[in-house]
Amino acid sequence: MDSVRYSGRQLLKSFVKAALNREETVHFIGFEFSEDELRDGLKGPFAKRLHIHSAFTDPLGWTDHPVFTVHQFNAEEITHLIKQTSHASAVTLVIDSLSWILRHVSPSVFCRTLQQLRKGGAVRAIVGLLHADMHQKGIVGSVCHLATSVITVAPGMKAEEAEAKITKRSKSGKVLQDEEIFVIKEDLSVIVQGKSHQTEPIQTGPEEQKMDPTANLTFNLRLSDAERQAKENLSLPFVFSKEKKTALLHSGPSSGRILYEPDENDDYDQEDPDDDLDV
Amino acid sequence: MQWCNRVNTGLFIASPAMYTELNSILNTSPESFTKGDFILLSDKQSDASFLIHHFLSFYLRAKCKVCFLAMVQSFSHYSTVSQRLGVSLAQAKEKGQLVFLEGLQESLSILIPQDEHTGSQAMNFLRDPKLGLQDLYEFVSSKVKRSCGGEAESEEWGPPVLLVDDLSVLLTLGVTVGAVLDFSHYCQATICSKLQGNMVMLVRCDQEEDEGDNESPACLLKGLTHQSSLTLDVQGLPTGYCRDIHGQVEVCWQRRQGDGQNTQNKLFQYKVHDKGASFFARGTSSAVL
Repeated sequence: MDSVRYSGRQLLKSFVKAALNREETVHFIGFEFSEDELRDGLKGPFAKRLHIHSAFTDPLGWTDHPVFTVHQFNAEEITHLIKQTSHASAVTLVIDSLSWILRHVSPSVFCRTLQQLRKGGAVRAIVGLLHADMHQKGIVGSVCHLATSVITVAPGMKAEEAEAKITKRSKSGKVLQDEEIFVIKEDLSVIVQGKSHQTEPIQTGPEEQKMDPTANLTFNLRLSDAERQAKENLSLPFVFSKEKKTALLHSGPSSGRILYEPDENDDYDQEDPDDDLDV
Repeated sequence: MQWCNRVNTGLFIASPAMYTELNSILNTSPESFTKGDFILLSDKQSDASFLIHHFLSFYLRAKCKVCFLAMVQSFSHYSTVSQRLGVSLAQAKEKGQLVFLEGLQESLSILIPQDEHTGSQAMNFLRDPKLGLQDLYEFVSSKVKRSCGGEAESEEWGPPVLLVDDLSVLLTLGVTVGAVLDFSHYCQATICSKLQGNMVMLVRCDQEEDEGDNESPACLLKGLTHQSSLTLDVQGLPTGYCRDIHGQVEVCWQRRQGDGQNTQNKLFQYKVHDKGASFFARGTSSAVL
């Protein structure tokens, strides 16, 4: 699963290369790239095990001779296509991209086709690329539900790196989740660089040694131990500490006392200025 | 890069350097540019049409056969601006270098049919938006393929280029996002991949993104971004209006370059002049320094 911020196509191609290296037969249905661009980087002795069905030039049948159209995306046609070219063991089916198909085929039909292909027996594994930001969350969720493994890629902190969030469902029902940072080399090999550390701040290089600002001055800014002690004992004037509170509440014998005798002029009642109302 | 006097068919007038900063940012020039590119221009609460004018004059200077689908402005508008940039659209059209589809004019003849003239087939989607843009694609394909036919005059021109201004207006005319994406896919397959030409399309998104809306320009923009090789996203300054800096442009290379390098995204600010636009790194506008 990828987004506009980071394309998952290189990773998809590296999966294809890995499958070919494992001597598997790969059938590639490509909607978004031409066959030449797809073969770029996938040349080699194993290339004959790679069968590309290019739906790039005419996916909707607008011309007279389409190679593969989106309307052919159903279990029967795909199985027929696979059986035509290879008769050995089950193949790995790679689709680029699932988003293209989802734009033209209803989600329910799409999911049913994928399920039929999986149970059909002609296909051993299906690897698909989905552009998560092109669909509503519900559709993305349904497709992910069908998958046994979902890898969501995003750009990493550094230029060449990318982050992958992996969710894997095993047959026993256990769900494993992991996050890794990886780099794809030019030869399409994937190098995993370890777990992603999202809580750590971005490290801009080795930490600089903390400089001591009081060194190398013509005047003395340092404190001796006695001075430091005196400084810590000092209570600040405007800090309302516990000692200050008790000092104010219970005034000592030497502090001044205020004696107040109510004066007649002070007792001014707004509602009764002449003080003659019998209230 | 200085544009010197060019001795040629008289199509170009000697002009001072314009858009040279953009050319150096994109690492291109009319003499050498990457072929098979799909350049996506987008803007949000800003106006990226100055980039359309730039690419129009760029590809005409590069002697490419240009097919321009102008949906939002008249021919005279583009002609006037191009004149200031040193390129004459009327001459290009006469010589057959420029194929200009004036959307506004064509749509009138479909919406208000007069006499027998029923309008070009290209704008058939106005009759029934549900049909999609296949006719428009056929129109583009026929105009562009002719340049690669066996005719003598076609040898003069370089690879074909398609410019569209702009795609989001098709959404307002009732065409679905899916149909527009199919159209751009087919154009890319024919022009960029098969004929090794280039494509420049403009999409305008003014609204805020709505998660549930599948037919918004933002959705179209995402789909097109996945297809494109290079995107130039024009936005207003986040701090508001400024007289000396008209906005910022984010340049993102979507597909890896041929040698596998993942070019970094770049952000620039720009100012549009009468005869071009200048681009500079953030904070280095001449008004500020």
